[in-house]
Amino acid sequence: MVVMVLFAISAGPTGSSDLIFLLRTAPALPPRLLIRRPVSRRSSADRPRPASHRSSSAGSARSSGSCCSSSSAPPPPRRRRFLAGGSDAGRAVATRRVLDMGAGENNPLGAQNAWDMLSEEQSQKHITTGSGDLNGILGGGIHCKEVTEIGGVPGVGKTQLGIQLAINVQIPVEYGGLGGKAVYIDTEGSFMVERVYQIAEGCISDILEHFPHSHEKSSSGNKQLQPEHFLADIYYFRICSYAEQIAAINYLEKFLGEHKDVELCIYTSQVRIVIIDSVTFHFRQDFDDLALRTRVLSELSLKLMKIAKAYNLAVVLLNQVTTKFTEGSFQLTLALGDSWSHSCTNRVILYWNGTERYAYLDKSPSLPVASAPYAVTGKGVRDVSSNHKRVRVT
Amino acid sequence: MEERMNQDQPSTEGRCGRFWNGMDLLKDVTENKHFLPTGLEGVDTLLGGGLRQGQLTEVTGPSSSGKTQFCLHSASHVAAKHMGVVMYLDTSNSFSPGRIATIIDGTPGLFGQRAYGVQLLGFDLQPKDVRLKSIMRNIICESVFDIFALSEVLHQLEVSLLNDKEKNGGSRIRLLIIDSISSLLAPIIGGKYPQGRAMMISVAMTLKKLADEHNLSVLVTNHMVSAGNGAVKPALGESWKAVPHVRLVISRERGSNMCTATVLKHTLLYAAVFSFPPRWFLMYAGQQQQ
Repeated sequence: MVVMVLFAISAGPTGSSDLIFLLRTAPALPPRLLIRRPVSRRSSADRPRPASHRSSSAGSARSSGSCCSSSSAPPPPRRRRFLAGGSDAGRAVATRRVLDMGAGENNPLGAQNAWDMLSEEQSQKHITTGSGDLNGILGGGIHCKEVTEIGGVPGVGKTQLGIQLAINVQIPVEYGGLGGKAVYIDTEGSFMVERVYQIAEGCISDILEHFPHSHEKSSSGNKQLQPEHFLADIYYFRICSYAEQIAAINYLEKFLGEHKDVELCIYTSQVRIVIIDSVTFHFRQDFDDLALRTRVLSELSLKLMKIAKAYNLAVVLLNQVTTKFTEGSFQLTLALGDSWSHSCTNRVILYWNGTERYAYLDKSPSLPVASAPYAVTGKGVRDVSSNHKRVRVT
Repeated sequence: MEERMNQDQPSTEGRCGRFWNGMDLLKDVTENKHFLPTGLEGVDTLLGGGLRQGQLTEVTGPSSSGKTQFCLHSASHVAAKHMGVVMYLDTSNSFSPGRIATIIDGTPGLFGQRAYGVQLLGFDLQPKDVRLKSIMRNIICESVFDIFALSEVLHQLEVSLLNDKEKNGGSRIRLLIIDSISSLLAPIIGGKYPQGRAMMISVAMTLKKLADEHNLSVLVTNHMVSAGNGAVKPALGESWKAVPHVRLVISRERGSNMCTATVLKHTLLYAAVFSFPPRWFLMYAGQQQQ
């Protein structure tokens, strides 16, 4: 897989895009063979996949195409809720679509009505950033199933926030966290493991402060609250070129499928956050053909969107800044251009306001624009006045 | 895919036999092609009443200019005021049911209170929430992450609409939203590769066919790309330009909550006496002469 992608990209801008394109479109198969859609969690184990799914042409298209990776990944859960209720018309549409799809084996519904989605959304927990004010403008923290882009000038705390999220996602469920694991894709080499240890210790000390009676809890709970345990649950990928980055994101879906223990409690063993620090670094250099870069990046972003939705995890992309000439003056904007700016669900911009660090929610489908101060302390990202205030661990 | 689509269509004779005269068209337009108000007063005035059934409306604008808000608003309003079913195809995980509930509820105070946790939202089925529930169940959202998935969903939608037409004399689906179509098309368009453009036009034709035959209003969103000199223009190029009946550009001042909508293209003469697009009339009149 990786080799294929490397080849496809390193063939040069003109040749490579040709190849990528052909792989995408050449197989004259009905679309359902090309698209991997979520299949029911329960049925995935006991029901064999349809024969057509394994047909040779489909198989080769998948295994060779940079777009259709991970043919062997166990499929994520199918959402059936849509069928459970709904208005007559809605139900009619749903039922009909199931019938149309011929027992619906390989084509589960992705459709859901808004009411069911609302109740699902309300039961979701968010990943705390460590700073209550920052959580406030984000609606409780980083949301799962969404792609959040965080950008800012060097040194403002992007990587710190990234590491903090990788630690905070692991706060056990009994302490109000998600108890998930983290995938950290490092392209810049700025992931300092000593610092991660420090932030993990800071996180644990805050948990113990917040839940003073937790010491009497079961020993397994205490065992979880070790910095070593936190470090062990971060999957770290070091990426040294954009080809590797593309390959890593293509591989991610397979990886997530393998690292998902369906039978155990869903919260204890799942990757719940993917952090890419930074998505920009390799794409800012070595790319002559900007149109090709746009195409590659927009495909990557769709893939990340898909992963976020299918595996119910948060994707956090760290981005650098660039200057842009608009209306007669140079202004700081996030890198990678106008097209890329559409490819995230939420966008947070970190900036300096005097000597204080601020976060500005620039884009969100559900929340108003707002800004809030935060601080980077020895323990990690905290409220500015965290000496006096208790950090909310929710 | 081509083959499959052809099978579902009626035979050539069946299609050619269906010609219309102007009065038929006028009747169809007045009976079936209504304006669906978006609930945003200014935009409704600008569009001559709202999103028209049978037409494809495109909303374009820079990132975070309010395109998704426009879509969410239209979806809520159509579902709430017309009790129509809305199909929402989401490509960027930005369909926000919480925001929909807030819009339907019409209490701006709730906006943003997701910050303070789930409990405060208080949607725990109080009597008035029965209404909310029935409205929100009429908004159907599906995530679509590539162009093949989109073709598949549209095909399924077409089949189910055809079935509805036969059995129930028409579907309750009024509005089809794709937010955003350009993020699906961006990976395959550009350079000198004609296949991507062909797929784009094929999707466009399907959308317009669905809109016309089943009286759907189709709303799609598009990106803005740089046009040089710091200016921006709608993405997807010249060949897409001809596709939408109505093109709206939305812009927002940074840090402000006011969005401004500008009409780039509108097939209906503004404040015209006849309530149908003149171009259609010409097209069908031409067929009749044959």
